[in-house]
This record gives sequence, C-alpha cells and structure tokens, in this order.
Amino acid sequence: MTPVQPESTLSDAFLRQLMAVGQVDVLVGLPTLDNAATVIDVVRAIHLCFTRDCPRLRTVMINSDGGSTDGTPELIRSASFVETDMVQTSHSLRTLHRVVAPYHGLPGKLTALRTIFAAAELTQAKVLVIVDPNGPATDPARVTELITPVIGAEVEFLTPRYRRHPGDGPLVTQLVRPLVRALYGVALDEPLGAEFACSGRFASYCLEQSIWNREIGRVAIDLWLRTEAIAQNLSIGQIWRPATTNPAIRTTLREAVQQVMLSMGESLRAHDSFWLSADGLKDLRTWGHAPQVIPDPPVWDYVALAEQARHDVVEIEPLLAGVLEQPALERVLDELSNRAFHLDDELWVRIVYAFAAAAHRGSTGSEHLAAMFVPLYMWRASAFMAHTASENAATLQGRLDAVCEAFQRLKPVLVSSWSVEK
Amino acid sequence: MIQEIADELVQSWRNFATAFVLFVPRLVAATIIFAGGFVIAILARRSVKRLLAGLRFERLALRTGASEMLRVADMPSAELLVAKIVFWIVWIGFIVSAVDTLQFGPFQGLVEEFFRFVPRFLVALLVLAFGFLVGNFLWRATLLASVNAGLPAARLLSGTLRLLVIAITVVMALEQLGLATTVVLTAFAITFGALMLGLAIAFGLGGQDAARSLLEQHVKAKKQRETDAAPHL
Repeated sequence: MTPVQPESTLSDAFLRQLMAVGQVDVLVGLPTLDNAATVIDVVRAIHLCFTRDCPRLRTVMINSDGGSTDGTPELIRSASFVETDMVQTSHSLRTLHRVVAPYHGLPGKLTALRTIFAAAELTQAKVLVIVDPNGPATDPARVTELITPVIGAEVEFLTPRYRRHPGDGPLVTQLVRPLVRALYGVALDEPLGAEFACSGRFASYCLEQSIWNREIGRVAIDLWLRTEAIAQNLSIGQIWRPATTNPAIRTTLREAVQQVMLSMGESLRAHDSFWLSADGLKDLRTWGHAPQVIPDPPVWDYVALAEQARHDVVEIEPLLAGVLEQPALERVLDELSNRAFHLDDELWVRIVYAFAAAAHRGSTGSEHLAAMFVPLYMWRASAFMAHTASENAATLQGRLDAVCEAFQRLKPVLVSSWSVEK
Repeated sequence: MIQEIADELVQSWRNFATAFVLFVPRLVAATIIFAGGFVIAILARRSVKRLLAGLRFERLALRTGASEMLRVADMPSAELLVAKIVFWIVWIGFIVSAVDTLQFGPFQGLVEEFFRFVPRFLVALLVLAFGFLVGNFLWRATLLASVNAGLPAARLLSGTLRLLVIAITVVMALEQLGLATTVVLTAFAITFGALMLGLAIAFGLGGQDAARSLLEQHVKAKKQRETDAAPHL
C-alpha cells in the first residue's frame, strides 16, 4: 500500500469556526455523501438531543461532506436551528475514492473521520460520537444513548451491536467476528460497525497514529479503530442499535471480501504484540435492550455462489498451493469435487489462519492474497448457507458459536506460524 | 649418418628435458592454483552464505516470490543458489588461471576472455532473475484479475503471458552473453510475429462470431458474478 498525502489539513475557515465554538464536552461527527434521503431526520435528532437531553453540556455537531450532489449540505444547514451548534466542512474525494466503493459505503470516510477527530482534539471534546447519516439516529434518544455511557466515564469506547438473523452477514459471522474474538479475546459482535462513541483522549491518541496517511486506512479504519481500542486496553462496551444499510453505494461481494481481508491483515500486523499473548474471551457490557423480534432470514442463491467459488478455486489452485499446506489444499479440492456443498469449521479456520500467516510472511502481496481468498470465502459461505437453509435461528446461532469456538481452539496454529515467521 | 641420428636423438631428449624442466614448475603452480582456488571458492561460498543470511536475503527472496519460483523449479534456496554461483565463478576463475599458467598455445588469453565474460554472465543472470520475477508477478496478477473478472481460460491467458515474459528474458540474457545472437533474435521475432499475426487473423476474420459470442457471454457472466456485498456484511 502506498502512503497517501494528508488530506485533512483543516482549512482556515473551518479553524475559525472551531475557534468560535471553543471548548466542548460532546462532539458529534456526521460524515456524509449524498445522504439527502435520511440526513435531515438525523440532524434534527442530533440537535434535539443537544437541546433536550444534554442542556448542560457544551455540544457541537461537525458535518464533513465528501462533495454531495443531492443537496445534503444545504439540508443539514436548513435543519440546524442553532447555528453555533453546527460546523460544516468538506473533504475532497480523489478519483480513486470514487472508482472503488469501500465496503462501508462512504468514500472518503477516512478523511472525514480524520477531520472530525482533529476537530475533537482542537475543541478538547470529552466525548466524540460518530453517527451514521443513514440512521438509525433519527430519534434523539438514539443519539443520547451513544453519548451517555462515555460522558459518564462508564466506558471509553462504545460500539454498536445489531439484532440480526444468524444467517445474515456471513462475512461478519464466518470471518470477522470469530477472528477478532479468538485473537483479541474480546466478545465484540460487530467489528465493522459504522457508528461509535469514544473518549476525546482516545481520539487524540488515534490522531497520532499512521493509519490516516496510508491507503489501507480507506477501508480498514472501522476495524482498526475497534481493534486499536482493544489493544490499548480501553474499557469497551456495546450498545444495541437497529441495523442500517446504505442504499446509495453498492460494493460487489468480491471487493468487499478483499477489503475486509486487507483490513484484517492491517489490524493483525498492527496489534500482533497484543493478540499473540491475549488469552480467553472477555464479555463486554451491553447497553440498551436487545430487540425481541428476530429479523426474517435472508434468502440466498447459494448454488450460484458455490458454482462461482468452485470454478475460481480450481483456476487459482497453483496460487493456493503457495499459501495452504498440501493436506489442507487437497481437502479443499476434495470438498469442491463433491456435489454437496461442504467445508467444515476446522478446515475453514485453518484456511483463514494460513492466509493470515501468509500475509505476515509477505511472500505474496496482500492484495493478491485477498483476491485469492475470495473464492474460498464464497465456498465457505455457500456451504454454510446450504447446510443451514432449513434450520431455525436458535440452531443456526449454535453453529455460529461453534465457528467462534473453532477459531479460538485453533489460535495456537496461527500464533506458532506467526512467531516462526517473525 | 648414425652420428647424425644420435645427435638428433640427444637434441630431442635435451629439448624434451628442457621443456619438461620448464613445464614441471608450471604444472606444480597450476596444481597449487587449482587446489588453492577450490579452497578459496569454498570459503567464498561460505562467506557469501553467511553474509546473505545476515542480510536476511531469504526473506527478501520470499517477499519477491523468488523462493516460490525456485521451489517450483526444484532448485535450491535463493541463498544457496547465490552462494553456489559465487563458488563456481571463483573456482572457474582459478581453473582458467591454472590452465593459463601451463601456457598451452590453444588456451592462451583464456584469463582475459574469462574476465571479460564474467560481467556479461552476471548481467545475464540478473536479467534472467528479474525476468522470472516479473513473469511470475504478472502471471499471478493476470490469473487473479482474470478469475475475478470471470474471463474464460484465465490460466491459459496468464500462463501465456508468463511464458512470453520469460521468453523475452531468455532472449535478452542470451544476447547479453553474445551466444548466437542473430539466430536467437531472428527466431524469436519470427515466432512471436507469426503467433500474433495468426491470432489476429484467427480472431479478427475467422472468429468474428465466436469473438462476439465470447464477449457477450463474458458480459453476462460478469453481471452474474457481481453479487451485492450488503447482505454479507
């Protein structure tokens, strides 16, 4: 990954606005790009939260817009009835940002977050909250619930937890969640969530890190922030939030898997001194109430997904031979040659760990490794979907727990190969 | 008559004895150079190996993919290979010096030739190594990109590209060595030109319908492959 030029140099006008605001207790950041459909409700909710729920706190909302063409900045201005409570700025998007859609759906998010973090440091904010412009913070209570635990010093980093059907989000449930849990030893549900709240101290610390100047930060920032918080031994909590999707930007599955793999690689490299010695699994306190209703199960075309995976794995077999050990590769090819879709937990975990070790070894470029991993993920996801298609949510949840346990049980495999390479 | 024959024999013997007396020290010197060169070559090999280990050369080879390539080609590790090359260059240098010491007519000037050849040989090796690395990288990148894009015959495409890069590299290396330059270059140009022309004619004239159908299939397959990531996240 090539270093990128710092893009978040704060403009004079923005600095003047921040100086006019002065010190604040709570800074709510709202990174936007073409969010006209939802942003007005979110902005009103933020201002209502400020005036109704936090009247004694000094508050400000910072909107960093990536160049919306649907009038988002104007809508935000019109919805902000207390001018001093709102500061607007923009972050320019490079051509690359526009061409490749990041999985989180917000091109230029890294730059926007950097601007907001810098604003939090300049205003000496005690609490920094990042709100998703697509909701769910369309109700003031949804904003307040993010602020309260951090301002009360009950927690230093608060991250959302979503009530999903266990069959939903296999990239999270089959890869990111179990890997983060097993390696970092923290029962984090949603390592890729868009929203979070953190202490101003942590925001200042993050600003000093190199992630902002690196291309990988574009896609890795969400995961990096969470794993960095864990690695810094911050007190971390979760909060139940309604899940949202970004309808405006569609990333293909292949791009998303590659981006997530690159993000995972970045976090593992950055925090290896922490996770190599981390042990056990620490439960996290969760704020709010879990929604009682489980969403409907997603409908998958797992046959098409499996066929693509089968074709692609066979094509790149010579490349996989350089990453996977021969017995593991043979087992994968055996599974692919059967008409039934199958890839057991242990083999899946060994594959993931082999790729993590290969990324650390550096014999193959990270981008190539991530691309090689895509069909394997597709096969695993389709196998899991096929296997659990007729199962109820409780049984499925049990299977997800088993995946997490397999990742934990086999952690020594990665630790030993990682240490040897080092 | 008999006296003349005897004189010739004596003269021949004297010449032989003189030549032998002159040759023996040269033979001894050549043997010493040969044996000493072998020892020095071994020491050079060990030193280079240690130096490369200290510089973590193997890690560099791993990172560049050279190790993987050597493994596939059933060759020793990169460190060992470089050490062996150094050994042979040093020892061959001493062998050539030893032969030169013997002052055989046909081998006169061998040392100068050898020392003129060594730099060219090293450059050729570097060209080969670089070519293999580039070929390997392009092969991997093309294979992954083709598979991700759903192109048909991804392996054929990437393998052909690698072969092409390696062929160009080999030609460049041979040219550097000055070995049958004209023949190699001509053969390469004819083969490459014929291949490209053949493909162009086959695809452009004979296979218009096939090409259209192939492209349509590809566009359709590509759309099918562009699964939305949102439900997976």
